[in-house]
Parts: sequence; C-alpha cells; structure tokens
Amino acid sequence: MPDRPHAIIIGAGFTGCATAHDLALRGFDVSVVERGEIASGTSGRTHGLLHSGGRYCVTDPEAGVECIEENIILRKIAKQCIEFNGGLFIALDESDLAYGEAFVEGAQACHIPIEQIKPAEALRLEPNLNPRLLTAFSVPDGAFDPLRLALAFAATARKNGARFFTYQDVTGLALDGKGNVSGVEVWDRAADQRRTLHGDMVVNATGAWAEKIAVMARVNVPVKPTPGVMVAYDRRLVQRVINRLCEPADGDIVLPQRRMVVVGTTSFEVSDVDYIPVVSEQVRMMYERAIQLVPAVAQAKMRGAYMSARPLIGTSIEGRSLSRTFRCYDHLEQGVEGLVTITGGKATTCRAMAEKTADLVCEKLGIQAACTTKEVVLDSYRNYYIP
Amino acid sequence: MKNKPVPEKWTVTFIVSRQKGQGKRHFEQFNLEVDPEEYVLDGIERIWAFHDRSLTFRHACHHSTCGACGMLVNGVEKLTCITPIRSVTKDSGTLRVEPLRNFPVVSDLAVDMASFYLNLEKAQFSQVAPIQNASLPFEDQSMEGDLERLVDCIECGMCVSACPAAHTSSGYLGPGALAAFQHSLNQKNDPRLYDLVDCHDGPWRCHNAFECSAVCPSNVDPAWRIMNLRRKIVSHRLRRLFKRREAAKP
Amino acid sequence: MKNAPSPAHWLRWFDPRYRQPGTWGYILNRITAIGLTIYLVLHLGVLSTLAKGPGAYDSFITLVKSPGFMLGELLVVAGGIIHGTNGIRIVLNSFGVGVRDQKVILAILMALSIIGIAYFAYVMFLVD
Repeated sequence: MPDRPHAIIIGAGFTGCATAHDLALRGFDVSVVERGEIASGTSGRTHGLLHSGGRYCVTDPEAGVECIEENIILRKIAKQCIEFNGGLFIALDESDLAYGEAFVEGAQACHIPIEQIKPAEALRLEPNLNPRLLTAFSVPDGAFDPLRLALAFAATARKNGARFFTYQDVTGLALDGKGNVSGVEVWDRAADQRRTLHGDMVVNATGAWAEKIAVMARVNVPVKPTPGVMVAYDRRLVQRVINRLCEPADGDIVLPQRRMVVVGTTSFEVSDVDYIPVVSEQVRMMYERAIQLVPAVAQAKMRGAYMSARPLIGTSIEGRSLSRTFRCYDHLEQGVEGLVTITGGKATTCRAMAEKTADLVCEKLGIQAACTTKEVVLDSYRNYYIP
Repeated sequence: MKNKPVPEKWTVTFIVSRQKGQGKRHFEQFNLEVDPEEYVLDGIERIWAFHDRSLTFRHACHHSTCGACGMLVNGVEKLTCITPIRSVTKDSGTLRVEPLRNFPVVSDLAVDMASFYLNLEKAQFSQVAPIQNASLPFEDQSMEGDLERLVDCIECGMCVSACPAAHTSSGYLGPGALAAFQHSLNQKNDPRLYDLVDCHDGPWRCHNAFECSAVCPSNVDPAWRIMNLRRKIVSHRLRRLFKRREAAKP
Repeated sequence: MKNAPSPAHWLRWFDPRYRQPGTWGYILNRITAIGLTIYLVLHLGVLSTLAKGPGAYDSFITLVKSPGFMLGELLVVAGGIIHGTNGIRIVLNSFGVGVRDQKVILAILMALSIIGIAYFAYVMFLVD
C-alpha cells in the first residue's frame, strides 16, 4: 500500500466535498470529479435548513440525533455561511397540539434543546406568523447558504492538497480483469476530451445518482431519488425557521434566506434525476401550506420555483417514511473491490457522512488515521478559488 | 396568485454561445417548447439534459442565493434562475444566452470567477452580519435583538460584467469587490482595509455609469456603496493627516 | 495573471444597446474631453499665428467668421457645457449627494445643457 493513497471521489456536493476534506486531513491524495460545478446537483438546491433534529425526533429518532449533533458541530466549523436565529415549531390545530406531546418526548430523547413559548411571545418574535397559532416550541434551527457550505469544505480540502475537477462526466468505471474498480473514465465536458483517472479507492458520493454510478461496476445501491418542490418568495417575512408542529408532511417549512422566504417541500419518486420539471400543482400546494404558517406570503411575489431530488435509502416503501439517515456501502460485499458508496442523509449531516466514509476507506486500505473534522474550522469558502 | 388550469406553451429558439477549449466562440440554436412562467435556467438545463450533454454552465441553488447562474440574456446581465422566460422573449421568439462579460470563459456559458472571489476575500467580507447592518443604511433598519442574516451580495459577478470600467481595465477591483470593502468597513472598521482599497484600482476608477446597480439582482446597490466608500476613504485620510499633525507637535 | 478577468472585446464600446443613462454620461464625457483637448491644441496653434504678424492673424479672423467655423465653435461650446454639467454630477455623487436620484439629476442637467447650447447657438448665429 503506497503511503499516500489516491482516493477518487465522484460528486462535489456536500458529501463529496466533506469527504475530500476528511480524507485530505488524513493524509490522502484526493481527486474529486464532478459533472457540473460544485454543488450543482441536489446539494445546491437545498433550501438551506440547518436542522436541529426537531423535525425527525418523533418519527425518525436516528436522524434526529444525527442532526442535533451535527448542527452543533457545523455551527462551530462553518459559521461563515450560517445564519443562526433558531427556529419555531408552531401548532395550528388540535392534532398539532396532540403531536406536540410526542414532540416534547422525542426532543428529550434526542437531546434537542427546546422551549415551549406562548403564542403571544411567538408573535412578538415573529409578527408575520399566523395569529391563530395555539402554541410554539423554539428549537436551534438555522439557515445556511448551500453553495458556500460546499465551497467551504472544498476550500479546506484544497488547502490540504485535494484537487477538484469540475465539468468531468464519469462515463464508466475503470475495471481490472476481476471486475474490481481501479479508477474512473471521464469525459471532460469543458475541453471535450476523454481520459481515465486511476486511484486506490473510488468513492461514489453522487447522492441521488448513486445507482447510476454503481451499475458501472455491476453492483447496486438501494437509493430512491425522491424530489420535492421549493418555492421562494421575494420578502423576508420571518427571521427564524418556521416548522409546522406535525409529522413530516408537504409544505411544512418556511425559512428565511437573505431577502426571501423559501417554502418546502413535497415528496414523490422519479426514475430519471437529470431533469425534473416543476409541477405547478405542487407550487400551488406550497403556497396554500405556506399561508397557513405565514399568511403574509399571500402578499409576496414568487421569485423562484425549482425541484430538488433527495437521495432516500430503502426499498419499496413510500417516500417519506424511509429513513432520512445515511448509509455507507462497501461493494466488496457484492464482490467488487475498490468502490464504496455513500448516499442518503441530509445536508446537516454531511460531515458525519464523510467521517463514516473516510473511516471505511481507511479500514479497507489498512490505514490508521483518525477523523479530526469535528474540530477543524473550515477555511474561507472563497479560498477554493486560490489558483 | 393567478389560477391557470392549463400551462401555456410557447416555442422559443434558444441561441446559445458555445466555446470548447481554445476553439472559436460560436452560437448554436435549440428550439424548445417552454412554459413562459419557467425560468431561463430551466431552458438551459433542458438543453443540457435532452439536447446536448456537452453544454456547460454554472448553477447551484436555483433561487437567487448562490449567485452562480448569472448570464447575458439578450445582451443584458440576468440571474437566470429567477428570470421568467416571459420577461425576456415572446412566443416564437428568440432568446440569446451568452456568458458574463469581463471574465475569462472556461467553456460555453461558464466563466472563471476566481479573480472576483479573491478580490472579495481581500475585503474580508463576511456573508453573515447582524441584521441591523445587513441592508443599506437608508433602508429600514428598525430590527431589534440579536438576529443575524446572510447579507445581500450573492457574489454573482453581474456587476463586474456590466461595468464599463471593468471592461477596459482587468486590474480594477470592480463594483462587487468595492461594495464588499464598504460593507466590510461598516461591519468592522479595520484600518488595514483602507490601505488595500485606496489604490489606483480602487473606487477612484469608477466613473458613475451606474450599470452595476442596474443589474444587481440582490439589492446591493454597489454604485451607492462605491460613493460611500470614497467618502469613508477621504475621512480616513483626513483623520490620519490630522493625527500626524497632532503627533508632530512638540 | 492566470485568473485575471479578461476585458471584453473593444467593439463592445460601439454597441449602443442596453446602456444605463450613467454610461451615456461616461461616454459623452470622454468624447467631449477629446473634442475639447483637440480644440485646445488648435487654439494654441492659432494664437501662435500672432507671432507671424498682423496679416496672418487678420486672415485667420476672416476664416473664423465663416458659418462652417462657427458651427465648429458651437460644438466646442456644447462640449464644454456637457462636460461641465456631467462633471458637476460626478462631483455631487462623490460627496454622496443625489446618488439615489442620479438618473433624474442626469436628465435635468442634460436638459439644462441643451438649453444652454441652444442659447449660445442663438447668440452666435442670430445676433449680430
């Protein structure tokens, strides 16, 4: 085993960039290949919610715990692109109130610090909330800039020697005689040239596209691309993240992003993730759900609407009830060496995903190197562009 | 909000600038069926997905917060993710899309923004600011409390693309970076920033064209900030001059 | 420098579309500046004819009264007025005055310039 093994990461979204950062810190030579630009896949299109875990503490406590732990870490290492004003879960009817009891228990079990506040206080904090609200809970939610979070990981990785190659479309995996992966075949879309990159380990960090890459090595991953719509309105009506106090459902989040508010989201399955058209009925539904939480959305103008495809792990269960947690796959279990896949998860847990992936890569290559990403404050995201 | 039962369908000819490696820049046409409420970026993405996978362009958030998708649409700088097709062309019309000006073209519609980002970094410009400090001083700043927010500048570079001074001078810091210096000085009055920005390529190279503020999609008003920056620099110089006089007195 | 922006093609200067009023002020200032500089050079050249004696200077004065020449002088006046009012706009902006209303102020100043130029034209051509 060479003392500086070469890891090739496919995908420069949150997972790819965070994994590059982790492996670079552990002394790896890292190359990241990305079909588009940094965060031009699912990662760029997150509405930017830094989860406190409150949304998952009842139905998906595993994800809830992951979220609050990573929330605290990201606030320390990625402060540069996070606005941390907290969030509110608000109850609008009796069934919300009933859910509230499970919510309190779930938050306690997941160690998410919450505080119940009276409607009058909630309205003082956020005057644009629905005045009919029955109760509210404050949670440590935040909002972040999607591109800049990815760039911050990438900038730090580059500082530690990682190389990023954008506009490289992976057209195949280089296989040795026994079907093991030894590298990637790429089409450089910017220069219109083709080449092969060889490495000691290939990390498939393509999220919703994980299956597309996996089949190139004749293995598979049970990832279901599950898009949802997001709608942005042109007024910053709230300063905090506003969640509906209910089980994860459509349109139950309204969060601020610069001078806008973004409303999300829906959930449905597709097979082709490369282009998902915006469905106007879903946009309309977001509007209807948003005005229940923040009635003033009715006076705001729509600024943008787009689809974002989550990578959900699991087999044939309905989209939302699949766990929002992540999973690392060692394809040696399917008979192919040299390839691991990391998929699932959410933006908030990207660092933990990278840690598990880097742990697996080190284990497979017999490298002893501990993860240090919990402590390392990320470099300024603009330094990604240092030549 | 309008209640449209059936989405309209237009036929629009996208005329897209293409350039690969050291090759010559040329235009290619793509006929698309579009819903006029869709955004220009949706059309570009469809061209990539269904017509030509070699098309390269920058995009990430699709809701005007990342600043990646700025392009020239019919000759004017636009943030394509929030520019409805209806606002830039008509049914059976054409839509010319080119990369931003004043930046080296990497490929097709993607430009190299490195120098721009590095100039912004010189300004030590923080993306997160206290909410009282995040907007322009003449806007309503009556928020109380400990809140913060991501500031207005999304670093899209459209201001640099539109600026006639940046057109002639590659060393000019440019409206975006100068606005960042002004904002940075508001956030933390670091005197070293003055030394960096008070130079030949600083706010003195601006000649009041105001193209930057006209194309800014994000309420930054770089032109106003450049004028404000000039006043800040002059005050700073005067203060330094009088301090030296004071220090020199016996 | 590898990553420096590349200024766009010089032909762009001759594209009149999609320009803000401020850019027109910028362009006019440059054209009038070039015009006024050429005028200054010519003016000094003319004054040097004084050194060649009364005959040379007098014949030049006859030339000056021809309508073509007077049109040229009107252009100089126009250039001076436009350049001056634009300069006032730029000075005001630099002191933070009228930055947010700059389009209106530019329109007013250009209107005043046109009035000024018209007045000079009247005086030069219609008053003996």
